[in-house]
Amino acid sequence: MSGLTPAIKKPRVNAERLATALRLWIAAGPGLFWIILFLLIPSAMLLAIAFLTNSDFGSPVLPLSLGSFSEVAGYGILGWSGANFVTLARSLVQTGAATSMTILLAYPLVFFIITRPANLRPVLLLFAILPSWTNQVVRTYAWMQLLNPEAPLSHIAQKLGIIPEHLGLMPGDFAVLIGLTYNYLPYMVVPLYAAAEKLDWTLVEAGRDLYASGTKLFFNTVFPQTLPGLLSGIILVGIPAFGDYVVPQLLGGDRAMMLGSLIAGQFTFSPNWPYGAALTLIMLAFTCLGLVTFRRLTQRMGAGEGAML
Amino acid sequence: MSNIPRGVRNGLLGVSLPVYLLLYAPLAIIAVFSFAPSLHHPGLNVAAYGLLANDPQVLAAIRRSLVLALCSAALGTMLGTLMGFGLSRFRPAKGGGFWVGTLPSLIIYLPIIMPSLVFGISEMIFFNYVHQYTGLLSAGLLTMGIAHVTFQAPYVALVVYARLAGLDANLFEASHDLYANGLKSFLYLTIPVVRPALIGGFLLAITLSIDDFTISFFTAGPGSVTLPIYIYGEIARKGSSPEINAIGTLMIATVIGVALLYYVVTRQQGRIGQTSAA
Amino acid sequence: MTGIAQGPQPQAGPNRGSISLQGVTRIFAGTIPAVDGIDLEIKAGEFFTLLGPSGCGKTTLLRMIAGFEVPDAGRILISGREMQDVPAHKRAVNTVFQSYALFPHLNVQQNIGFGLRMQGVKAPERKTRVDAIMELLQIGPFATRNAAQLSGGQRQRVALARALVNEPEVVLLDEPLSALDAKLRNELQIELLRMQKRLGMTFIFVTHDQHEALVMSDRIGVMSKGRVQQVGPVLDVYEKPRNVFVAEFLGLSNIWPINPGGGAQVDTPIGPLQITASVGAERMAMIRPEKIWMWPTRPERPNVFAGQVSEAIYMGASTQYRVALTDAPAAPPILVLDTNNVAAERSWQAGEMVFVELKPDNVMMIEG
Repeated sequence: MSGLTPAIKKPRVNAERLATALRLWIAAGPGLFWIILFLLIPSAMLLAIAFLTNSDFGSPVLPLSLGSFSEVAGYGILGWSGANFVTLARSLVQTGAATSMTILLAYPLVFFIITRPANLRPVLLLFAILPSWTNQVVRTYAWMQLLNPEAPLSHIAQKLGIIPEHLGLMPGDFAVLIGLTYNYLPYMVVPLYAAAEKLDWTLVEAGRDLYASGTKLFFNTVFPQTLPGLLSGIILVGIPAFGDYVVPQLLGGDRAMMLGSLIAGQFTFSPNWPYGAALTLIMLAFTCLGLVTFRRLTQRMGAGEGAML
Repeated sequence: MSNIPRGVRNGLLGVSLPVYLLLYAPLAIIAVFSFAPSLHHPGLNVAAYGLLANDPQVLAAIRRSLVLALCSAALGTMLGTLMGFGLSRFRPAKGGGFWVGTLPSLIIYLPIIMPSLVFGISEMIFFNYVHQYTGLLSAGLLTMGIAHVTFQAPYVALVVYARLAGLDANLFEASHDLYANGLKSFLYLTIPVVRPALIGGFLLAITLSIDDFTISFFTAGPGSVTLPIYIYGEIARKGSSPEINAIGTLMIATVIGVALLYYVVTRQQGRIGQTSAA
Repeated sequence: MTGIAQGPQPQAGPNRGSISLQGVTRIFAGTIPAVDGIDLEIKAGEFFTLLGPSGCGKTTLLRMIAGFEVPDAGRILISGREMQDVPAHKRAVNTVFQSYALFPHLNVQQNIGFGLRMQGVKAPERKTRVDAIMELLQIGPFATRNAAQLSGGQRQRVALARALVNEPEVVLLDEPLSALDAKLRNELQIELLRMQKRLGMTFIFVTHDQHEALVMSDRIGVMSKGRVQQVGPVLDVYEKPRNVFVAEFLGLSNIWPINPGGGAQVDTPIGPLQITASVGAERMAMIRPEKIWMWPTRPERPNVFAGQVSEAIYMGASTQYRVALTDAPAAPPILVLDTNNVAAERSWQAGEMVFVELKPDNVMMIEG
């Protein structure tokens, strides 16, 4: 055994980091580049189009302009119109209402599931989310069958005087709300269930002596523990509900127009890409605002990431 | 939790049963209408299914949907598995900075978090320009497939990642310790242990593909009418018909079948996965 | 062994199983060295224990020997061969992990046979060897069970069998018993030792449990802050610790700072102490509590101090006393451990007056 000649001297920390990063990008690279090429770049293009000018054929051309944004704000060739603001407001209200509905339905459902025997719970959860795995068009179509003017539900509502004769429960805001709630309920159930499953029941036991009523007990011991799940649920329901296209299209009709239909229209029937792109930008801005707000809230509560990655 | 008062438990049951009813009633209605086309002419029949079986448009749409789902799911599973594998194996516990931590996560979450309308329109514009300038990628099953892979891969990655992250990190070192080089370790350890997640991810990718309408709608071409697009068109044209009810029923049945299969597979996975705890 | 088509080439000769660490250093990103210039020679066929508190670098050192980590500086020689460019899967070294790391998709015998399979050993021979090791470790009855269906002790045996079946030159054990309850632990300690003596492989055992280290090892290396504080046979390290850290980590002790008084006497906070050890660079005096005598009357010998029992804790086989010294009220009470065996003359109650005797031979000079 020879002398103590150190085989390596330089710190290899950076080289090691580089090697790991390289391995990561080699393994995950094809998928990541796929998403970059087929989604990140396309969505950047869409946003860029918002700053171009509309041509006669609905396709965007130079020069750069903010014209599409003034159109978003309601200024058109016919003067100012508040229609877009009404649509935006309706989208926000419907999103809020649908999210609240899913919360109201998901809480009892989730607590029903977790108070059943452990071997039954996965099955009950599965049955709660199974409908969401069928096609959205089919799901929404199903509600068209239930709510249309000739359906028994509409007849009952007419008899009760909730809606006028010869009108149905659809199309309209009510039908959209039902459709959104139905479509996105599982997105609230799953994160709530994940949070409720980890619930520390000893806190409830401890709280039993402190709080007189069941409601107080619930809001002081159980509710705070499910808050991280609730916040993820709000994000998971709110974002797609806000941008939904199928539900307002099939159940809403013209009087219940939401942002999604408005945007889609600019890319289909009466093309105006820059205007549509500007509307999309507004939609994404609200989406990001919601996302950031709720992430902040989650982090402030020390609830951690909650996410898998 | 057995200490929850009986009254509360009954109350939960009382609220939850109607919710379950609400979840399945619309689907059941479609199924019933597919067999009993009219309230005015009682009696069950399978006439609607007979119409379907002889409608070349429907058969072609079914065929396209299946081809699209299977092909995109295969590629999506491959890409997703590699992403899940890479992220769980080659990322330090603390996250590892922008290039190794933040950026890959952002990219993977992008398709999941982006509203499908924006997703679909972005792809439509992209494919439109690519076609305009290169002549490649004209709107059709291929562009739909590309879009589907884009949203399937992240979900598969999450499934595979969850599986690998739940394993004892020492397992991989143990395999090297026991004379397996990188390739052998991948073949004899990684692949077998993620196999349930792989199958689960593949089935999930199929359901995602069949479930999607919005993204398909914007990336489809005139010759690539898949089942959801066909149904949407029929609804827009006729409102409702026994035929649509029949297609809807078939789709519901298929998805429930695949979902149950997925459930069985992931349950199996859960059972094998519990060994790593020290 | 015949049939090894791939994998490490077996070393022959007296070197087989020896380990030489020369200036081995490992620095994790932006931190102080986890392992700091360690020189260590481990003999072939030895049961060597790396003992130290968590975070002392012992596991990192073990991982470098296994090949999971690469040293930032220094050399590792196994059986006399340089290991710098030898990856983990080519080292004739097998590890028993703290978490056992049994493969979840394989049953017990497949787990044990994994290493042989990766080396290309043919199925019939693989079966013979796997059966033999399962017999030796008494795990035959659950050969076809899945790892999830095993108890902690059974998993431990499977993990050990999975390492031993390859007949490695060195077996590395990373706190393999820490997850087990006390009784099972004692059983497996004995069994591990028996197995090691029987197979004659070098065992490197990592633990933070000083008792475990004392029971099992031929030699131990006490580690702290990435450095080896002392290496030697168990008896030496316990009886003649080199410094305060080793003395305290390996058991109870009384330690005082000293002023060399010249010759055979040093000054301490409890008074002058006669010693037989020579004073070099050491600045502390140490005596183990079980090396202190307690007398009802003053014996006419050196190093006897009068005091009062301030605390008596009965611990079954022994009793632990604290004795406050009358002449040095400022010094902390002396810790004394007295056995309660049949030869024990008497025990003491708190409050009793006693004389404690620190025989000069038993007072050790240690570094700070």
